Amino acid sequence: MFDNFFKLKISAEVISSLIVMGIIIILSVVIGIMAHFHDPLKKPKGLLFLAEMGVEFFDNFAKDLIGTRLSGFGGFIMAIAVYLFFSFIFGLTGLPSPVTNMAIPLSLGLISFFTIHFISLRYKKWRYFKRYVEPFPVFLPINLLSMWAPLLSLTLRLFGNALSGYVLMNIVYYALENLSTMIFGTLIPGEWSGIFIAPLVAPILHLYFDLFSAFIQTTIFISLTTIFIGQEIPDEDEVLSSDVKLLRKGGKNI
Amino acid sequence: MNIIAAAIAIWGVIPSAIGEAWVCSRAIDGISRNPEAAKTLRNSMILACALVETTAIYSLLVSILCIFLG
Repeated sequence: MFDNFFKLKISAEVISSLIVMGIIIILSVVIGIMAHFHDPLKKPKGLLFLAEMGVEFFDNFAKDLIGTRLSGFGGFIMAIAVYLFFSFIFGLTGLPSPVTNMAIPLSLGLISFFTIHFISLRYKKWRYFKRYVEPFPVFLPINLLSMWAPLLSLTLRLFGNALSGYVLMNIVYYALENLSTMIFGTLIPGEWSGIFIAPLVAPILHLYFDLFSAFIQTTIFISLTTIFIGQEIPDEDEVLSSDVKLLRKGGKNI
Repeated sequence: MNIIAAAIAIWGVIPSAIGEAWVCSRAIDGISRNPEAAKTLRNSMILACALVETTAIYSLLVSILCIFLG
């Protein structure tokens, strides 16, 4: 039992994920120290400026989609977005991208799934359980099944995108290596003849499959998470507008 | 047999392609009618395209899994 416990079998993607986390931790500590010693009256420069822009963007993003009722949600979204973006473009270094292991998209999906349900439970109290028996109590098993749909869709979207990009890039590299061997094989003998065409073609494909899809998938993931969370919180404006109507009616009567 | 299963599974990209074409054509309609809103429309179009693409990604995933794990 203890032999297996001490010799943990960790897959390569998990190690890449730990490296990504380390990079993010170092970045945030550096930015924190810079922000601490920075004169607030001067204009921020470089990394600090980028960080302030990001924080402002995500705060506004959360405020637009969730509303003012749940403040301070921008940090959660920013953490997820930064981690997801970094782990998508980590594939550019040649090491395996963390998202190509099913465990990491599943963990991200579980985080957003539990957040959605926890916030719903916190704000709707007992009315939360009403969703399982809508519109009739007969629909209980169907509702219990369909409750897992957002989790599956969030997870498989990330995993499918990353895995399809990875597999397609591997196929392209294989084909280009063979093509290069076919053309230059007679001039340069040995294994070195396969490296000439891939550097010309592959960067454009990497631009699409790594950078563009990383940006798009991060945007979609955080948008969906925020929209789902915003749906669970009862609207503050509705209450206010109904109060205003009541006040107006009272005024007319007087 | 795995290859046949993968070939059947990849048929799921057809409706997704049609839907994506629809999204793009509607967005271009909107831009030609109101060129000032082009920036907003383009951003929404890219997001909607990526959302529609999800179904295609699912079928691609199933087909890849059929080839390598089936």
